[in-house]
Amino acid sequence: MDFSDMKRYVDDRPQDGVFRVHRDVFSDQALFELEQRHIFERTWCFLGLESQIARTRDFLTNWIGRTPILVTRNDDGAIVGLINVCRHKAVLLRHEEAGNAGVHICPYHGWSFDANGHNVHVKNTRTACYPAAFDAESHDLLRLPRTASYRGFIFGSLSAEVPELGDFLGDMRFFIDLIADQGPQGIELVPGRAVYTYNANWKLQLDNGVDPYHLTSTHASFLDVQAVRRKGEGNVESRSFDWRKRDEFPAGAMNFRNGHSAVWMRQPEPEKRPIAPAMDEIRARVGEQRAEWMLNARNLQIFPNMQIADAISPMLRTFRPLAVDRTEMRAWCLAPIGEPRALRAWRLRQYEDFFNPGGMATPDDTVIYEDAQRGMAASPLDFLQGYSRGLGAAVSGGGEAGAALGLDPATSVEGRYDMFNEVAFHGPYREWARLMEAGLSGRRAWA
Amino acid sequence: MKAPSGFCLPDAGETAALAIARCLLEHEAALLDEQRWPEWLDLYRPDCTYWVPARRADETLTDDPEIELSHIFYASRAGLEDRIRRIASGRSAASTPMPRTTHLVGNVRLREASAAEVIRVTSAWTTQVFFVRSRQTHGFFGSADTDLTCVDGAWRIARRRTVLHNDYVPTMLDIYCL
Repeated sequence: MDFSDMKRYVDDRPQDGVFRVHRDVFSDQALFELEQRHIFERTWCFLGLESQIARTRDFLTNWIGRTPILVTRNDDGAIVGLINVCRHKAVLLRHEEAGNAGVHICPYHGWSFDANGHNVHVKNTRTACYPAAFDAESHDLLRLPRTASYRGFIFGSLSAEVPELGDFLGDMRFFIDLIADQGPQGIELVPGRAVYTYNANWKLQLDNGVDPYHLTSTHASFLDVQAVRRKGEGNVESRSFDWRKRDEFPAGAMNFRNGHSAVWMRQPEPEKRPIAPAMDEIRARVGEQRAEWMLNARNLQIFPNMQIADAISPMLRTFRPLAVDRTEMRAWCLAPIGEPRALRAWRLRQYEDFFNPGGMATPDDTVIYEDAQRGMAASPLDFLQGYSRGLGAAVSGGGEAGAALGLDPATSVEGRYDMFNEVAFHGPYREWARLMEAGLSGRRAWA
Repeated sequence: MKAPSGFCLPDAGETAALAIARCLLEHEAALLDEQRWPEWLDLYRPDCTYWVPARRADETLTDDPEIELSHIFYASRAGLEDRIRRIASGRSAASTPMPRTTHLVGNVRLREASAAEVIRVTSAWTTQVFFVRSRQTHGFFGSADTDLTCVDGAWRIARRRTVLHNDYVPTMLDIYCL
């Protein structure tokens, strides 16, 4: 394979009306290895929410690409990012997804570490005749080179050469704020999560998460169920929306720097959103404009490993590439901390209906990703078609919505829902190509 | 016959209740395998609850569906009716072609049998699913609590709580996988 020119993989020529992605980006084993090294190991990745580790000595585990990560809250209340691997034989230290412990003990030879990752025990140090050179080494857990939070969202980086987290997120912070500000005490992950896999490349989820226009074809059977519910039959408790109404509503997409993107649309039936009963409090706290934008549907891509969808009740999903053709997904329902019980149930029934891997929409996505992965093996196929959908209306900057919100995306598009498009895929692939080019040429990824 | 402590052999009434429960659970398994959806729905009371709890990050099961996530939670049969509409529509890629299943139910133990109206049992279950679309086979397994009630001589399911032990879900999950 020739990796000297990423234009062979992401053909990005908007001035010619061209944006194409090659099928190898989804199916080439060597590219998969390179993107682990040059993307996942060189940029910020989402790790979890601060509310998951609210007390001292709470911890959560996650992965950055192939690297197991342990995030703790130490006795000073500070968040510490560590590599979840014992320094002795590289045994995984913590298997739980979350918990509370003052000491993390390796199950193999008992090496032990505190919440700061400091080694507090090596077996029989007095009698074991370790040489002086061993004692001179640090046996502490490796620290993540960078760990930082924005509005309770914790990120980590395996490379120290990344910009400050706030600069990395840039104007995506506005959209994160619209999630974080939904409750007066902040937001949390509702207890309970779904973990699932699909046998296809992680970027099929990358695209799908900011692709509202697959809804009417992929999820036709869900729309049928919604139609039955409008007649008062079926599970009306799940308060499903009448999404037909939004065809004529304003909608748009924004590509931010560093690979992030957002799609948004005016949402019919705002009274069905689980924050609707709290809107007076929200308006008073965040102002009219931000409150209205919380009721707009917004799907977010925080490059490379996290998405938030807030068109029903908000969901947060992360993806971990396991192989070029296998991906692990984790998904949670987001909710305001301290939300009344009845609203929490309302939120959950909407969420489960659509987003669960055992729900009535996500399974239709995941099986189609697998169909796509099988198709990606078709050797006569080169570039995939359709990434340019919407390019004819894309502009530099933020358009009307960007001006109204004071946001400065790199590119954006505005129109009606029924002209929805693939413009929000461009930012992530531009960043994919940028990081791959930097890595392959041995250049720093960040100025 | 002497039984070990904590275990009592069923008396005649309990034996009869167990026979009813086993018969109904095995019948339900066959209806799912044979995709006899209307008859399967008819096994459930209209006011049934159908619940598949999720797991928290510490791997414990969620136990309050009002404030914690479930894989599936329905407070009435209407949610199951929605699913059957979708599965049978041919418009859901996840169920087209329809996966083929074999459900096995066993280890049925009586939790409660009061008079002739209520039987509560716990059972073990395993379902082998052949996903025709991907040519993959997956075995789902777990345990289930089932409450049966008898109205006008007909036993129906009033409550089902299914624990999915291997909830590292391969691509998708639906009621016919459980």
